Amino acid sequence: MSDKVILSVEHLKTYFDVTPGMFSKKKIVKAVDDVSFDVYEGETFGLVGESGCGKSSLGRTLVKIYEPVEGKITFDGSDISKLKGKELAGFRKEMQMIFQDPYASLDPRMTVGEIVKEPMDIHNLYATEEEKRDKVVELIKTVGLKPDHIRRYPHEFSGGQRQRIGIARTLALNPKFIVCDEPISALDVSIQAQIINLLEKIQRERGISYLFIAHDLSMVKHISDRIGVMYMGHMVECGSSDEVYRNPHHPYTKALLSAIPIPDPDVAKKRTRIMLQGEIPSPINPPVCCPFCTRCQYATDRCRKEMPQMKQVENSQVACFLYE
Amino acid sequence: MEKVLEISHLNTEFTTEQGIVKAVRDVSFDLYKGEILGIVGESGSGKSVTMYSLMGLLPANGKVVSGQVKMNGKDISRTSFENDKQYDEMMTKVRGKDIGMIFQDPMTFLNPVLRIETQLVEPLVNHTNMSRSEAHARAIELLKLVGIPSPETRIRQYPHQFSGGMRQRIVIAIALACNPGIIIADEPTTALDVTIQAQILELISELMDKGNMSVIMITHDLGVVASMCDRIAIMYGGKIVEIGSDREIFYDAKHPYTKGLLRCVTDPEKDDVELEPIPGTPPDLLHPPLGCPFVDRCSEAMKICKVKMPPTEKFSDTHSACCWCHQKEKLGHV
Repeated sequence: MSDKVILSVEHLKTYFDVTPGMFSKKKIVKAVDDVSFDVYEGETFGLVGESGCGKSSLGRTLVKIYEPVEGKITFDGSDISKLKGKELAGFRKEMQMIFQDPYASLDPRMTVGEIVKEPMDIHNLYATEEEKRDKVVELIKTVGLKPDHIRRYPHEFSGGQRQRIGIARTLALNPKFIVCDEPISALDVSIQAQIINLLEKIQRERGISYLFIAHDLSMVKHISDRIGVMYMGHMVECGSSDEVYRNPHHPYTKALLSAIPIPDPDVAKKRTRIMLQGEIPSPINPPVCCPFCTRCQYATDRCRKEMPQMKQVENSQVACFLYE
Repeated sequence: MEKVLEISHLNTEFTTEQGIVKAVRDVSFDLYKGEILGIVGESGSGKSVTMYSLMGLLPANGKVVSGQVKMNGKDISRTSFENDKQYDEMMTKVRGKDIGMIFQDPMTFLNPVLRIETQLVEPLVNHTNMSRSEAHARAIELLKLVGIPSPETRIRQYPHQFSGGMRQRIVIAIALACNPGIIIADEPTTALDVTIQAQILELISELMDKGNMSVIMITHDLGVVASMCDRIAIMYGGKIVEIGSDREIFYDAKHPYTKGLLRCVTDPEKDDVELEPIPGTPPDLLHPPLGCPFVDRCSEAMKICKVKMPPTEKFSDTHSACCWCHQKEKLGHV
């Protein structure tokens, strides 16, 4: 990990219009609402939160699958939030994505070799077919598959192996940054560890930065250098993974951490969980207030009227009025 | 302790186009009164099929080949009945009344076009002598029990009007309707978020404290098992490879697979250690290995593991494992 910022996100907003008909009242889902953070070169930034909190939307906005409504994304010194056409295609080489479901993200009619080679064809990376083929074999070996797997089809592989194919395809373009959108949540426990170790090995060898999106907090803590906690489109806490885990500030982070099941019966059975009442409210047309105020036991009138901003609290950044 | 469920030498097979899949192979275990038994395994290890086998809920191509299931001493195994009709008639009376089930995905379990009320009242009217109005009162009581606010109005609603966690609460309410002695929970929290998972687990623990229930909890999450279960069975390749109390499994695991599984999970309380994944992938149950199902991924595998199924070795009254590595002295020359 170096001190160089590779990705800088400032006040990013991604909204979706979900108005059901022409004459209905406008309904807006604020999937990502005013999120700012930096990712350094060679580091893993973990993004955690419950389903519907906007973590995947944020990841997809960064690789420009979704267009941001407002805000600035600076990647490697240049603003990419307004990129279009050819320039956008050039940028995509630098930032790639690993998807959650290895069953849905690979074309069933293409062989493994074709899948891994396709990005090279699109971006005209190598001059000859031979070079491409050599590169494909090298990538297949890097991710722990055998060269004779190249001629096979995705359905012949298990979930973990398919995820390895997805990773090989991602690496084909030598990206500097990879958005990993829940890369392990569809896999079995013993296979999850294989993929995590593979991702860590690739990072050590190539110095790639990861944005690691997951809802499994213990895995995120394991792989990340820093963690951002999201709730209803907002980032509520951000800090180094040890700091967030050992010294959480935001009431939501505290509740989230106490809800992680710990694989140790003596510890797990004695522990008291902070029980959150209720569930995440609807993200359609949310009121301007602290997003967590409906479930927070410390909520005051101020929390229900104003939106807290991110502030430095000890070594983390926290958006909560408790720390003012 | 009193046994409420005894399963012995259960074998289940599926007929597929590719051949016969032996999904459950010689599975035996008991469930005691008032305990939570966790069944842990990866996908395809046969944990769900074991439960469907003893509940008589196998799909048309599945069949219990042999084995016995006893509930409170009463024989409820498929193999003791002459035909499917007699068996189904008997099981219809058991399911929902003596054994309640909680499934993984509440949206597929609940009927989307029926009100919650209809779905809650149905088992009560079918299994007990209650009248509709008594059943209605009981249904409201159940919704209160599982923590659904304003049950009198919400009982008139449809499943889509509830959130994921609330739906799972309704599923639990239906499972509890007839006060069954046994609950089988198949991945009850896998589809839920962590904070909601914590709520549901808390609810299950509270319900355990109130009644004389016994629960079989199927899951792949070792964290959930550690916080909930009294005893744990580890399944692999259609077999139970190790079974023991929670402390025996977590602190004194005997089977290499259990040990490997424990090294694959991160404990966020502790400092980071490198994960040690189990190499390879689970066996293909169309052509299961002759010997131990774990042999291809095991670092301690010996020659005999490939050809012969290991016997069960007992370590304590509750703890046993199937591995040749505990038979080394007896094998001598191998």
